[in-house]
Amino acid sequence: MRYSYIKPRPKSLFTSEIKLVLSFFSMSLFMLFSTYLFLLYKDAKFVEDKKNIIQEKADLEQNIQDMEDKIAYIQQQNSTSTKIFTQNSVLKDSIKNLFDLVPQRITLSQAKLLDNGLILYGITPNKDVYNFMLQAPLRSIFHQTYSSFYPASGGWLRFVSTNYMDEEIEDVLLNPQEEKKDE
Amino acid sequence: MNSISRQSIYIIILSTLLLIFVFVFSFVALIPKGKEYRLQRVQLSAQYKDLRRYQNYDAQTFDDLKKLQADNRHIITAFDTPFDKDRFIKKYKGVFNTLELTKVSSVDKEDGFSVYDVKTSSKISSPSTFYSFLDEINKSDWIVAVNFPIDFKRDGEVISSSFKMKVYVNAKDSNSSK
Repeated sequence: MRYSYIKPRPKSLFTSEIKLVLSFFSMSLFMLFSTYLFLLYKDAKFVEDKKNIIQEKADLEQNIQDMEDKIAYIQQQNSTSTKIFTQNSVLKDSIKNLFDLVPQRITLSQAKLLDNGLILYGITPNKDVYNFMLQAPLRSIFHQTYSSFYPASGGWLRFVSTNYMDEEIEDVLLNPQEEKKDE
Repeated sequence: MNSISRQSIYIIILSTLLLIFVFVFSFVALIPKGKEYRLQRVQLSAQYKDLRRYQNYDAQTFDDLKKLQADNRHIITAFDTPFDKDRFIKKYKGVFNTLELTKVSSVDKEDGFSVYDVKTSSKISSPSTFYSFLDEINKSDWIVAVNFPIDFKRDGEVISSSFKMKVYVNAKDSNSSK
């Protein structure tokens, strides 16, 4: 015997309302996990980036150190070469001044330029010419001056003039740059 | 009296469970991770800033080095060039009437460079030839210092001169700056 003319509906736990609520909940959970996964990924990437930056910094530091060493070496080369070039120029001027110092009436046969002195060999018409025209200026330059004379042909005199300089003064004359630095 | 439907009870239970899960997950995992993320981002930003500083300094040092190398090209090449007796004679034989060199084998160190002593004997027509040589030597392919003792001796119409030279080259253990 039938009490109703319609067929009974099958009852389900997942009604349309429940389904709607579940879909909202799923979306919320998806967003939550997505955020967490994003944070995990970013953290891992940051760590990786930091590692790369530290490596890059170490490479740059090494490169900078190498370049600074090269700069220091070139500066050392520059300073040494400037010192040498100055010494050569000073030497040229010194020799030039020395030969300019010798008067026309005196003839040199040999000149020895030493670390701390000068030895001149030559001939002079007489002692007075030598004393006034050569020895006097040499005395003003050197601290110790010794002269010896030997008779030569035609009444002329051969002379040997030995002149020495105190080392302290000589250093000043030969290394003017170093002196300036000390000041 | 209307009782609460079974459906509503399900929804309330589900909502409560979700709420509890969201709270627990947030406080246990999400918030600490977020804090870590923020910290890492600040640290990374500082590292990037530091890296940029290094890169700028590196570029500036590179420019300085290149400028220094360009300005001192002659000196750098001269220090790198090993002394060649025959080449030296060939280069300067025009200045002197005759020129002979004796390279002394002993090597000294001076200012971090290897220094060779070279004994030179030559014949010149006048002292001005020697002055020209001293001018030329500063532009030569080597770093050469003319040194004492220097001896000039009249020999007929010419002057015999003998002097010492110091030739400076890079020490083998030093950096090559080419």
